[in-house]
Amino acid sequence: MTTRTVDPITLSVVRGVLETTQREMTLALEKTARSSVFNLAHDYSTALFNATPEMILQGQDIPIHLGSLVPAMKAVAAYFGDDIQEGDLILHNDPAWGGSHAIDVCMYKPVFHDGRLMYWTVCKGHLTDIGGPVPAGYNPNATEIYAECLRIPPVKIVERGRPRQDVLNLILTNMRARRDQEGDFNALIGACQVGERNLLAMLEKYGVEQVEACIDKLLDMAETHMRSLIAEVPDGTYSGTAILEDAGHGFGDFEITATVTITGDDCHIKIDSPPQIPYFINSYEGNSHSGVYLGLMMFAQLPPPYNEGLYRCVSVDFGPKGTLCNAKEPAPHMNCTTTPMETLTDAVRLAFEQAMPSKVAASWGHANGLNIAGWDKRHDEEYVTMVLATIISGAGATPSQDGWHACGPECCFGALTSGDIELLEHAYPIVIHRYSLMTDSGGAGKFRGGSGTAWEVEPLNGEMTFITFGEGRRIPAMGAAGAKSEMVDAKVGRIELVKGGERKVIRTNVIETLKPGDRVTNMNPGGGGYGDPFERPVEWVVEDMRNGLVSAEGARADYGVAIDPATFAVDEGETRTLRAGRVGGMSQRET
Amino acid sequence: MRTKYRLGIDAGGTFTDFVLAEDTGQARLYKALSTPDNPTRAIKEGLKLIGQDLGLSASEIVRECDLCINGTTVGLNALIQHKGGKTGLICTAGHEDSIEIRLGHKEDGYRYDAEYPPAKMLVPRRLRRGVRERIRSDGQVHTPLNEEDVAATCELFLREGIESVAVSLVWSVLDQSHERRAGEIVRKMMPDAAVTLGSELYPQVREYTRTSTSVVNAYLAPIMRAYVEAVDGYFRALGAQHPVRYFQSNGGLSEGAALSDRSVYAINSGPASAPRAGLYVAEPFGTKNVITVDMGGTSFDITLTKDGQTNLNKNIDFLRYRIGVPMIQVETLGAGGGSIGWIDPMGLLQVGPQSAGAVPGPACYGQGGEEPTVSDANLVLGYLNPEGLIGGRLPLDRSCAKAALRRIAEPLGLSIERAAYGMFTIVNSNMAAGIRRVSVERGYDPRDFVLVGAGGATAAHITALAREMGIDTVILPKLASGLCAFGQIISDVKYNVMATAPMRLDTAEAYARLDALFAELEAKGRRQLEADGFGPDRIRIERSIEMRYVGQVHECTVEIGSFPIGGESAEHIKDAFHRRHEQLFTYSERHNTVEVVNIEVTAYGLVEKPAAPQLAEGRDSAAARKGMRDAIFSADGTAVSTQVYDGAILGAGAVVAGPAIIEEETTTIVIEPGWTAALHESGAYRITRDGAL
Repeated sequence: MTTRTVDPITLSVVRGVLETTQREMTLALEKTARSSVFNLAHDYSTALFNATPEMILQGQDIPIHLGSLVPAMKAVAAYFGDDIQEGDLILHNDPAWGGSHAIDVCMYKPVFHDGRLMYWTVCKGHLTDIGGPVPAGYNPNATEIYAECLRIPPVKIVERGRPRQDVLNLILTNMRARRDQEGDFNALIGACQVGERNLLAMLEKYGVEQVEACIDKLLDMAETHMRSLIAEVPDGTYSGTAILEDAGHGFGDFEITATVTITGDDCHIKIDSPPQIPYFINSYEGNSHSGVYLGLMMFAQLPPPYNEGLYRCVSVDFGPKGTLCNAKEPAPHMNCTTTPMETLTDAVRLAFEQAMPSKVAASWGHANGLNIAGWDKRHDEEYVTMVLATIISGAGATPSQDGWHACGPECCFGALTSGDIELLEHAYPIVIHRYSLMTDSGGAGKFRGGSGTAWEVEPLNGEMTFITFGEGRRIPAMGAAGAKSEMVDAKVGRIELVKGGERKVIRTNVIETLKPGDRVTNMNPGGGGYGDPFERPVEWVVEDMRNGLVSAEGARADYGVAIDPATFAVDEGETRTLRAGRVGGMSQRET
Repeated sequence: MRTKYRLGIDAGGTFTDFVLAEDTGQARLYKALSTPDNPTRAIKEGLKLIGQDLGLSASEIVRECDLCINGTTVGLNALIQHKGGKTGLICTAGHEDSIEIRLGHKEDGYRYDAEYPPAKMLVPRRLRRGVRERIRSDGQVHTPLNEEDVAATCELFLREGIESVAVSLVWSVLDQSHERRAGEIVRKMMPDAAVTLGSELYPQVREYTRTSTSVVNAYLAPIMRAYVEAVDGYFRALGAQHPVRYFQSNGGLSEGAALSDRSVYAINSGPASAPRAGLYVAEPFGTKNVITVDMGGTSFDITLTKDGQTNLNKNIDFLRYRIGVPMIQVETLGAGGGSIGWIDPMGLLQVGPQSAGAVPGPACYGQGGEEPTVSDANLVLGYLNPEGLIGGRLPLDRSCAKAALRRIAEPLGLSIERAAYGMFTIVNSNMAAGIRRVSVERGYDPRDFVLVGAGGATAAHITALAREMGIDTVILPKLASGLCAFGQIISDVKYNVMATAPMRLDTAEAYARLDALFAELEAKGRRQLEADGFGPDRIRIERSIEMRYVGQVHECTVEIGSFPIGGESAEHIKDAFHRRHEQLFTYSERHNTVEVVNIEVTAYGLVEKPAAPQLAEGRDSAAARKGMRDAIFSADGTAVSTQVYDGAILGAGAVVAGPAIIEEETTTIVIEPGWTAALHESGAYRITRDGAL
């Protein structure tokens, strides 16, 4: 703990300046980026670090990036050691150096004041492409990381203010849609510069010593706050196991287990996962940090600001190197920010639910989505992108309310924006026929999970390749406090393909090509419910049915309510029978 | 006939302000209690008050007015309380849920909050009906409109008692035919319903924004229509010479009929007149770069105007609903005199956004408030007169203020005085962060602006705020507390005419198309103003283009002149875009292609301004001294004996050097050490940092 005296008023003011700085960096990124993944979808993060480097502020962006910037920054600073110079800019994406997945590219700018390294301004964003054999990075056929992408270990693209065009050119030459990638590098650099400008102004205004003392104090306060929350959890060991679906690799389903041990105000989290596999769902340590921290935040439910002090009382053992949640080279990994991250998060969430059942909300729908690529005849140029509108799932219900519709996936926790359909159709040669909520998709519960979404697309004027990624296509989002769904198939993700007049449902990760007239619909899971669905007031079920969120069959199967689909009249006798038939029978409904 | 008055009526949450400007340059301010359940009642009350003061009847006043102007919160209140008309939406099949999906986003600040509720839907899902039809992104018809679907939907809406229908189809901005035809069917089958067409209300790219804007408009339309009919009818009956003009969120006036169709333009009109008023009071000092700040009891509103152009917002979330149409950018913070100081779970002192409101009010009002508020801090700091405000009509209790402040002082280990100064500092810092949002985030350096104070509580903070922002000049009118109402009566009629024009700006063909489109929009704007009775010499046109680099998604707006667009002028337009991009984001990409997304013509009908206000005779500062008071101007809590002046005695040219406090009837001005105030003949104080000029 810090010993320097801190003026409590300046402390509040410095906190505000840090938040303003982060906000302005975020805006600069969002407004200038090319990649629709980051400018339409908010798949980026910005953070500030001190010289240690300890994270002094993380934006309220995507949880995928929540933890992984911490080990990445440390790895980058350690790599350059005492060769960090004023005017440097460092680029990096590699998971073996603390990165999450390689298509998330990070820019690091050391901030100097009077010749001394004081801070780092850092941004991270999901590009549309990162080289490698398939567009947009997600290659379900890769058995090694070398077959996925261009790996960028920490590298200076600007050295003492002098751009290294040769290095940048090497990198960009290896990427598709070069103009967009170059624009996105500019956006990342611009945002780092905006952050630097603000931090230097803050030092001038409040003085180095006072600012340093305040920042140390903010880290300490976050630590104290998290410790007070951990202390409320009864001492003991709690365990959660979640199942990771086989999304086409053929190795079968896997279990990920989180064991949470609470001792006073300390928390130790141990992860057990199977050995890594030659399929793109291995998670290196940086990404696994994010998965664990998101599970922790689902318990802590903290308002901003977020800094590294929060995690001081939390130690994590990711298991031996070479396992699914602590992968090592050459494990392929591109899908890791959704799969297995969400399953890892579920395991941690479930362990905390065991500890504090009245506090912890249900799981959210997992991501399963599409990347698309092809030739845009309108401008005679190549296009490639991840379509984040395809991964918008339902949020989990909480102890006090229904889950939000269309707010997931879990790994993004509402931070994404899916992008306006007209802007997407303007940017890419596609026709989006449907972007809507799905009936019966929300997990049943006293509080219902939020609905998932369906996104249906047809190529506009040429062939379009799509690649599916993710999971959650067989096992629905985990409910909490006894919630359970009967009508499972409507609640999971899946892909419906209509090609050459034939229709099929896909539940694995595949690469397919469509022609105009063909269509693919990507459907995302709803969120998990909270509490016994038979305790849901009948009139709420009727209202959901009037709004097409629940069907007559769903009302009956999931909620034990008999409703006439034409008149919405409730058959009270039948409902009583349905609900009574299973009273005390929760155990029968367990699978 | 020459008229004597112009009347402005600005309905606020608590009070409705009436400004009566006389042809002599005198402006009178009256206040009546607002009557949200029946807004016309407050207008009648106010006219009665004025009548009593002047010995005239309501009819005599109104008949002597060249113009009566009304800023109303009717639409805003209906949206806040979810009391709009019963609304249905007709949309493209498959896209019924865009207003509920809300781009899949949860607002920042609530990421892990398990209790934050979703936004309430103005149209429930069962009344959002898809019809089979589809226009493609290249303007071609993919699927023709299925008219039977529209008719079936109307039948459902009739059964459900729908009062207002929004029709918003995908890419209707490129081909309006489907939306228009659907509209015809609705009008025919539902003759009593109000109809909003997305491509008419907001003809710009972005389906979600357009649909959401249309839904909000449709939801408010029945309410606004009834209100406008009532007010128009009342004034007509009193013998008004011209139709009442209504103030809009875009900072201009509109005719009643136009506003009934475009009710969404009325939703945040209250603070939108501040920029006009700010420019007006700053004019004698020769600047058109103005930041206005308006601090009331619960909130703090900020606007920015650069070179006479006020920041606008388009495509923003307002009260959690996406609104596309241009509105004056008003940054609103929960930072007012009643804002409460508290210690957050981490142990940090924070101020607001919660407020003690009117009841119980700040602790120093002695009405049972126990939480420390900004007003309590200001009282303890010696800024406010302990004998009370409004000439003693609102007495203040210093011991209650101190007791409340103890709640934060003790846990922080501070004296009461230091805690008070701490609250003052933090609320100023919050306000400064808000000012950055209208300035730095829009690429402007706040130091290039003067700060204009409006609202009753601002003046105690204004020099501290200017110091915090590095601003050297503050302008504070004596009538600060009624400045927004004043802004309305000096505003012009303003209509936004928009079109979407997605095209890469690199061919002669594109230039010609852009030129033709602008001409078309301009003609449309002129026609609307001519119908309102404006001759060609009273019409002003502004043009703007939203542009971006190919591949970007967000646009920069660039204002351009009314010139023909061709090869050479297009280069100027692109150059202006590159410069704006640099200003906003630190870099440009001059080698890359620029594309246009949306274009807009703003058509102003110029309204003659009332005579400039003139300060009555007064005396110098020595004559206005009314005593000394201890006041605190530093974080260590040390008190300084400070001269207090009676503002009512000060005349034009009077100079007051800080530290000083000037007490006006409706506001108290704190001049920090190092600042000097000079009273100008227009009735505004110009307060400058010593040594800055």
